[in-house]
Amino acid sequence: MTHENLAPRVKELIVRRLKLDIDPTTIQNDAPLFGEGLGLDSIDALELVLGLEQEFGIKVEDEEVGVKAFASVDALVDFIEQKKIA
Amino acid sequence: MLPAPELPHSYPFRFVDTVLSPAGADFRQGTVSARLTANGRAVMGDGRVAGTLLAEALAQAALLLQGGDPDAGRRGFLAGIEGFEVTRLPEAGESLQVDVRLTARFGPVIKFEGEVRSGSDTVARGSILVRQGSS
Repeated sequence: MTHENLAPRVKELIVRRLKLDIDPTTIQNDAPLFGEGLGLDSIDALELVLGLEQEFGIKVEDEEVGVKAFASVDALVDFIEQKKIA
Repeated sequence: MLPAPELPHSYPFRFVDTVLSPAGADFRQGTVSARLTANGRAVMGDGRVAGTLLAEALAQAALLLQGGDPDAGRRGFLAGIEGFEVTRLPEAGESLQVDVRLTARFGPVIKFEGEVRSGSDTVARGSILVRQGSS
């Protein structure tokens, strides 16, 4: 699956798991997920960790890795691709 | 083991009293006894406690068993409730047991699932999120 195909799945995952009342297609690939941008917080981060594990079979080892992976949709897609290759 | 200092609340809003199974940083599951009174302030007209206190009891049991985090501090608070089902509201002062299991963790946020029991009767079950640290 290419980066372009994976990004919509990631956006759909974010909206569905976090019960956001937005259209997934309005999320910018390079926009920050936390703080500015989508405004997600640490509670949301745990839900994303669980979502990645359940829907992609990917574990986020620790908070340091997760903070980098959750920087943006692009970063999250890169993280999933790296995990799928490894 | 006494609950202090893991929990910020004091009587009557400290609901858990005794750890009934081993606990600590490597805690994955455990049991705590509890008694919900809230000194009458969260008791409804029929003498039963409000259902939200059962989720709070689960959070207090979880943090007590988990024992805090050296980086985030020993304290924590209830940050979320998911799929929490109350099948019976216990009487104020009823002796309860709270079974808690750690299911996921990311940084200071921990997800637990568990049940609140009165004898063999499960009065509530569900998942909660707690956030370690004071804010």
